[in-house]
Amino acid sequence: MSTDLYPIALLMDELRHDDVASRVQSMNRLDTIAIALGPIRTREELLPFLEDVIPEDEDEVIAIAASKLKDFIPFIGGVQFANLLLPLLEKISACEEPIVRDNAVDSLNNISLQLSIDQIKENFIPLIIRLSKERWFSLHIAATGLFYTVLPRLNDSIEDEFNLKIQLVQLYYDLITDDSPMVRKAAASNLPKIISSLNEPINEQVWNLFLQMYKSLINDNQDSVKFLSIDVLIEILSYYNKLNNSTEDTTNTTSTTDSINELFDSLISIISDPSWRVRYMIADKFNLLSDNFNNDSFTLKLLPHFISLLKDNESEVRKAISKQLPEFSSKINLINPSLLIEQILPIVNQLSNDESENVRAALASKISNLSPILGKERTIDFLLPIFIEMLKDEFSDVRLNIISNLEIVNNVIGIELLNESLMPAITSLSNDKLWRVRLAIIEQIPLLAQQLGISFFDKSLGQLCMDWLWDPVYSIRNAAVENLSILCKLFGNEWSKNQVIDKILQKKETQEFNNFICRITCLFTFVKLIDIVNNELVENYIYPFIKDLINDNVPNIRFNVAKSMFKFANHFKENNQLNIINNEIIPILENLLNNDEDDDVRYFANENLTKINSL
Amino acid sequence: MDLDSDIQMEDANDLQQINNNTETNTNNNQSDEPELTKSITNINNDDETNTTTNSFVTEVQISTTNPKTQINTLDGWIEQLSKCEPLSEDSVKELCNMAIEVLKNEQNVQPVEVPVTICGDIHGQFHDLMELFKIGGPCPDTNYLFMGDYVDRGYYSVETVSYLVAMKVRYPKRITILRGNHESRQITQVYGFYDECFRKYGSSNVWKIFTDLFDYFPITALVDNSIFCLHGGLSPMIETIDQVRELNRFQEVPHEGPMCDLLWSDPDDRGGWGISPRGAGFTFGQDISEQFNHTNNLSLTARAHQLVMEGYSWTHQDLVVTIFSAPNYCYRCGNQAAIMEVDENHNRDFLQYDPSIRPGEPTVSRKTPDYFL
Repeated sequence: MSTDLYPIALLMDELRHDDVASRVQSMNRLDTIAIALGPIRTREELLPFLEDVIPEDEDEVIAIAASKLKDFIPFIGGVQFANLLLPLLEKISACEEPIVRDNAVDSLNNISLQLSIDQIKENFIPLIIRLSKERWFSLHIAATGLFYTVLPRLNDSIEDEFNLKIQLVQLYYDLITDDSPMVRKAAASNLPKIISSLNEPINEQVWNLFLQMYKSLINDNQDSVKFLSIDVLIEILSYYNKLNNSTEDTTNTTSTTDSINELFDSLISIISDPSWRVRYMIADKFNLLSDNFNNDSFTLKLLPHFISLLKDNESEVRKAISKQLPEFSSKINLINPSLLIEQILPIVNQLSNDESENVRAALASKISNLSPILGKERTIDFLLPIFIEMLKDEFSDVRLNIISNLEIVNNVIGIELLNESLMPAITSLSNDKLWRVRLAIIEQIPLLAQQLGISFFDKSLGQLCMDWLWDPVYSIRNAAVENLSILCKLFGNEWSKNQVIDKILQKKETQEFNNFICRITCLFTFVKLIDIVNNELVENYIYPFIKDLINDNVPNIRFNVAKSMFKFANHFKENNQLNIINNEIIPILENLLNNDEDDDVRYFANENLTKINSL
Repeated sequence: MDLDSDIQMEDANDLQQINNNTETNTNNNQSDEPELTKSITNINNDDETNTTTNSFVTEVQISTTNPKTQINTLDGWIEQLSKCEPLSEDSVKELCNMAIEVLKNEQNVQPVEVPVTICGDIHGQFHDLMELFKIGGPCPDTNYLFMGDYVDRGYYSVETVSYLVAMKVRYPKRITILRGNHESRQITQVYGFYDECFRKYGSSNVWKIFTDLFDYFPITALVDNSIFCLHGGLSPMIETIDQVRELNRFQEVPHEGPMCDLLWSDPDDRGGWGISPRGAGFTFGQDISEQFNHTNNLSLTARAHQLVMEGYSWTHQDLVVTIFSAPNYCYRCGNQAAIMEVDENHNRDFLQYDPSIRPGEPTVSRKTPDYFL
């Protein structure tokens, strides 16, 4: 056997291997083998061979072959031979395994984009027709995925192409009304893609067929098909909008208006569908729908339905429509602000007490966005009471969602008012049972501090910030240290001295300082301040305090003192106080290194000594 | 993630069967099977566990840190493990060899200094262990004493025990890890650690390395001569702590005898010694605890081993405390977890906590009927 026969022989061997893993591996190398064989032998040997072995193999092997063939056109000698790939992919797309089928359809679409119009007419369209007419559901499903690349290629002004187009769209209508719900589902979900693939204006005959398909979908007896009609409706409406923007032709507009009215009625007819999945779909796309109807009178007509969805008895629907609240409210507000107050806000109030915690959480994540729409006064009158209620919600996500959006409200009503009305709620949350809620509050503090200013801040929040340092949960203490360091940076040295340093020094005189956690927290707070406050404070207060802890009974304190010494050395070096480094810091560390009984203290003393020496 | 498998019951037959499987499985661990299943699961489903566990087979990484010194290597391992990524088999081998050097010198009754934070069962709930450190503070800044049962039942036994052992080797004075009844060859074959090792490494080698290491774990600890800590409870054959010091602990947990009892017994409302429903160890009453604490001049016996809904529970009129640190045990029990902080003045503080928040994992409502427990 000559050497150039070797690759195909090897592949054939491996593709017949007993072990599926080896077959998968060799299938992954299909393109390498095709390159090695060259175009002629790929066409004449490899493809027939694949046609032979593939349909018999395991799904995972076929799935790889199907996706590999997508890029095969160059390997078989160019587009003029592309139709040779079609029979193989047609066989694969008959597979019932959705992954394999999807890969095959994907590859077919990729190839069809490269085919000449003659190849489309002679090879590809017949393939679609065969798949659509075969009496097997999985072939029909495969067929539904192939139209969107082919239809745009057919030119309306050439007679035979136009006829083919009509024939294909009619065929699609058959698929939309197929006996099998699975086919109808696939056809319905591919329909929006097909409509958007066509350039406007779409021929009237074709368009009418699309409208008929929509009508059939919206009346489907399966809710899993029916709810897909919402996406189709959005696509149809956006087509009309595009058409209106591009043409000024008045004769056309009247008929369009009629159809839009009709479409609106059809939407209204299913908006209170008995199936919650249909209602959910409408709720989920509510703003998209009202955007596409794009007309105040429609928006007003949608309002009662919006409200009834807010009151829906299925919590998933209420959750979905809650998320649409700000955008739709802003539309209503532009038309008639009193409707928002009279009709929507009472329901919002109701929803804030919804029995489902997920609905309340969804509402909490969006309700703050109503504030800019309502403006200052009405936010205070209508929203603040709801906020305060929701801040007390028993479900922590609700509280968190409200807190993390406070900034939006703050921008509208100003920090003072927010402070006045929300501070009691914030204070009570700062002692929340769940530490993550406390953490969320701490994380909002720098923002509040920035906007409140020093005097206001000290009055209302100063004490809280110190109290968090003594929280039983480490993560809260750690966040409190971080928070204080940000505040010190923000408010400057004098504030840091009075509000933080002095208070820590006072703590040292209390009983609690006998507790190791209290001491290590004071230590961490001061270490954090070294880079933030001025040298006077570091030298006179922070450094002496930490130096004192060097003889602490607890080794954990001592090795943290050792760690802090590098930061001090760095600080004093910048301030040209090398004497402190040489006369105090280095001897302290050397003493720890040589005399401390604890391994970790000696280790960290040594590590920081080395770091200081390399400064 | 699948929650349907019920909490397994101890069953001698299971144990037998698994013993047999061990032998057959070790023989064909080099086959390509795992590769294949990996490609299928990757195509077919997005289920987090399946894809990750399968990819462990091929993608277990070696520490990224340049292993110039032992500490650099260890820090690299700890960093990797803290992301819940298991070590390579070679690294586990190396780590456990280092751990043996540390643990073999510890005593049967390992002395521990205050302040220390005492913790109970973890059971492979790695993310909840990380939550524990968020509550109690990171090691080495906080000293820890764990009272056994790191493996089995949870999904991340390998990562959990690797992490704790790595911390032990890195900071031997800051963390103490005792042996629980699940740190045993027999029990781990039934309750998940064996299977998890096999799934993540494709062989039972790592299981063997760890279970060999477990023989070196100390079995009890004495906090500042005042709090006696152990996994299970007291033994009728042990009256003084000195008797524990005389045991030979370097062996598989025996089926009976004092070492077995220390890891298996439970306190009970009834006085005296009773037969344990677990089939190993005993139940002991308040009179026994009083006698033991008095004889040994103890203020408290702290132990783990039993699920308690509040995370901690006092028994025998505050002579014995049970601490359990696996919140929502087995991802279904709805219990809180707790740890006990003992400061240098022997003040005790309990911190309770709930499961860590992990997006994408099932959340089970806290109301589980009692008959599941």
